[in-house]
This record gives sequence, structure tokens and C-alpha cells, in this order.
Amino acid sequence: MTRSVLDTIVAAETPEGITLELRPAGLCSRACAFLLDGLIRFAIFYALAVATVLFGGVGLAVYLIMLFALEWLYPVIFELTRWGATPGKRALGIKVVMDNGLPITPAASFTRNLLRVADFLPFFYGFGVVCLLLRKDYKRLGDLAAATLVVYQPREAKKLVLAEAAPLAPAIPVALPDQAAVIALAARAARLTGARLDELAALAAPISGDAGRSGPEVTTRVLGVANWFLGRR
Amino acid sequence: MTPIQFEQLYERDWDELRAMLGQLRGSQQGKPRVLIQGERIASLYRRTCEHLALARARSYPAYLVDRLDQITSDAHQLIYQHREYGFARLKQIFTEDFPRAVRAHAAYLWVSLALFAVPTLALGFIVYFRPELVLTVIDASSVANFEQMYSGVGDALGRPGGAQSDWLMFGFYIRNNIGVAFQCFAGGLFAGLGSVFFIAYNGALGGAVAGYLTQRGLGSTFYAFVVTHAAFELTATVLAGAAGLRLGHALLVPGRLTRLQSLVAASRESVVIIYGVVLMLLIAAALEAFWDAATWIPLPVRYSVAAVCWIAVIAYLTLQGRRAR
Repeated sequence: MTRSVLDTIVAAETPEGITLELRPAGLCSRACAFLLDGLIRFAIFYALAVATVLFGGVGLAVYLIMLFALEWLYPVIFELTRWGATPGKRALGIKVVMDNGLPITPAASFTRNLLRVADFLPFFYGFGVVCLLLRKDYKRLGDLAAATLVVYQPREAKKLVLAEAAPLAPAIPVALPDQAAVIALAARAARLTGARLDELAALAAPISGDAGRSGPEVTTRVLGVANWFLGRR
Repeated sequence: MTPIQFEQLYERDWDELRAMLGQLRGSQQGKPRVLIQGERIASLYRRTCEHLALARARSYPAYLVDRLDQITSDAHQLIYQHREYGFARLKQIFTEDFPRAVRAHAAYLWVSLALFAVPTLALGFIVYFRPELVLTVIDASSVANFEQMYSGVGDALGRPGGAQSDWLMFGFYIRNNIGVAFQCFAGGLFAGLGSVFFIAYNGALGGAVAGYLTQRGLGSTFYAFVVTHAAFELTATVLAGAAGLRLGHALLVPGRLTRLQSLVAASRESVVIIYGVVLMLLIAAALEAFWDAATWIPLPVRYSVAAVCWIAVIAYLTLQGRRAR
């Protein structure tokens, strides 16, 4: 499929025999999420330091234990919530799932976050970044071992708004993928400039029997065929 | 069938499934409970999966496929989710899974123990006979620090600069020791070399300190301080190293699996050991901070408690969870 050549989609097959399409998140959004989480953690550190310094030794101990918890448990706890993501990841619209599309398990979350130690080497996530950039599914070492994937949260599917045009029967037989392409063009019509729309519609002109011609009338007829494909009569 | 007809014909199923998934999610968060009809959800889910497959095969427009894709992946996440939370699971880990995992990794454990013990003994003896060599592994100011910690002055043992709060040291030990154990485990990802290095290095460090302090005549305070929590701390470090070696071995000798599959399988099994390691290190930190550092406890009591700890740890790892239920 051309789609899989162009995109980095990871297909996960379910027991029902359908494939779920997971869109792995790349270095940039993950780094941003990490920085955001870093800021959040730093804010908590700071608030804790101010609060605990008043209590002397016990306060310091609480501070050190919290430091430990923030370092190691912060990602695990948040990844096991309903959202499967730390606050930073949620803000970036990404989440952690198993690479078969299921919600992350506690064992996997523990593993991937613990192996951060290895990703972090030799300095500031060196191995993690190299590993991530070398792979199509953007896994760092911890993700490899835990069989997890950081993916974009699927967005709510938009309702289709098709450019209005009188339905028109196609002049020639059209293959199914081409029909889908014409419908996709009609759905984008409102977001294109008139000239660009005409230009694109001219490519599809043979379906309305206007091969070789272009212009607003041809565009309207092509959009009419798109409406026909969708089932309007 | 045109996309519009398809949508009109089946839309009601999709909406019903979505509504039911919403209820299911709501009831998991403790919102007012409604009766969940599992059978209905399952049959709607299967039907929607069929619709998605049809829509893909017929190249229906993207909006329709995306919509079905979203509903099914939502349902998939809810229907197939793992439930391994809660105290029942924790109890199972520590009464069965952890000791069993340790025994299943016995070979790695012996290798890890050798990697730890050989440098410990070697450096211990070398430094005992040629104390100046302690500087090859530890810098001079740390050596001075260690010497002062175990000199027996002040009211707490094993701490630089005299009495500091037990709690403070508790926090410090947790952070430090668990960090070391995690390094020993994660180092396994580098074909096991990282684990080998971290285990041997920590062994050498301990051996050098012990050899040096013994030579300076501070052995009695030093051993009295370390012997109890060592039952947990040294065991846990060696266990973490064994888990790391397992990862490295899985990468080097994947057998019939791909290297990646082999790594995934190995980490799934060996991470159970790390659960136990964390617990053991928490116990070790508590002992180190509150029991071992107390100077008022007489030596015979210390050594008997230490013996009980060592026997308990070894018995737990060798005997616990053997009987099938």
C-alpha cells in the first residue's frame, strides 16, 4: 500500500481480524513531552524543597524519598492511568500503548521506565535518541524491551462536509481507490483556493467526460461525480 | 452499496456501541453504575469490526474508515485490557512470582554472584596487604571519609561527620542503592557488558573499602555496621545483575526467536526479579538507617539479628512458592 510507504503507521492485528493503525510519535513530540514533564517535576521538587526544609532531618528524608519517587515512579504511575500518558505526553497528544495496540501493562511500564538508565547513556539520552531515530516505529531501548510504543492519540473523526454539487454519473468506470481519492478531493474543496481546486479537479476530469479541459464548470462536474460516488442521486 | 447507504444502514449499531463503551468507562471510574450488557457489547464490537473490514475492502472514503477505526480501537482497548493491579497481584508477586523467578534464573545468579564476589575478594586482599592501592578505585578524600565514618567516635556508625538524622540517611540510601541496582539491570541491554561492569565495579568498591578498613584496624566497627543490611543489599544487587545478564544473554543467544522477540520475552520474565529487588532494597535502606547505625546495640545482638536476616533471605529465595496450589 502506498500509504504504508509514505507513513510510519504501525499495523496491529486484533483477534477479530482487523488491523488497528497506530501512529508512532517521533523524536520532536517526545522530547517536548519530556521537557514539559521535566518542568512539572522541577516545580514539584521546588515546592517540596520549600515545604520540607522546615521539618529538618525528617523533612529532608521525605524530600529525598519524594525525589526518588518523582524520578522513578512519576512516569509509571501516570502511564497506568486511564490516559496512558504522563501530563507532558497528554499535553502533546501522545500516549504509551503496547505494540499490539492494547493499554500498557504495569510490568511493561515498569520495564520501559527502568531501562531509561540504558537509554540515558552515554549522556543525555544518547543511545535512546540514536535507537529511536534508526527505527521506523520510533522505539527507544526501553520500548524495545517492554514491547511498548508511543503513539499519537487518535483524533475524533471529523464529520464529512462535501462540496455541494448536483450528483453526476461518472462517464467511465472508476476503480474504488480512485473513487475514494475523488471523494477526498471534494471533502477538501472548501480549504483549497479556487485556482488550486480547478487545477486538481482537472487531473480527475476524465471521470466526468471532460478529459483535457479545466475550469470552474469542470470542477463542479467533478465534484458532482464525487457526490455520486458517495451515494447521492 | 454506496458509502451513504452503508452509513445509514449501520450507524445505529456504531452509536449504540459507542454509548455502551462510554458507560463501561464511566462505571470503571466509579460513576453511577449501570448494568453492563457484556454480550451485547461483544456482538456489537464484532459487527463493527466486520464493517470496518468491509469499508476498507471497498475503499470507502477516509472519514468513514476513520470513524470505524476509532470506535473499534476504543472498544479493543476496553475489551482486551489487562487487569494486574491491586494488592492481590502484589501479594502474588512476593509470595510466588519473585522467588520462583529467582530460581528460574539460577544460572545467571551464580554468574552474577561470581562477578560480584571475585572482585570483592580480590580487591579486599590486595588492599589489605598493600593499602595504598585503595586509591586505584576510590579517591583520597572518600577514603578519609570512610575512615572517619567507622572510627567509632560519634553516636552513629557509617556516617560522615557524626550524627545525622536516621531519616535523612534512609532517604539517601533508597535513592543511591536502588539507582545502583537499576544500573546493574539496565546495563544488560548492552549485550550484558553493562551489567558485568556495574556488578564487578560495585564488588570491587566494596572489597577495597573492606580491605582498607580491616587493615587499619577498623574491621570490627565496619563489619558490625554492614553485616545486617548486606543480607538484603548485596543479595539484591547480585539479583539485579542476574536479571541484567539475562537480558544480555537473550540478545546474544536468541535461539529460535529474533533478537527483539528474545529480548522482549527475557525482560518480561526478568523484570519480576526487579520488583523483588526494589522491596529488598527498601528493607536494606531501613535497616541501614535505623538499626545498623545505632551504636547502643551490643555486638552479639547485632550478629544474631544479622544471622537471622541472612537465613531468612536465603530461605525465602530458595523455599518460598515451591508448593503448587
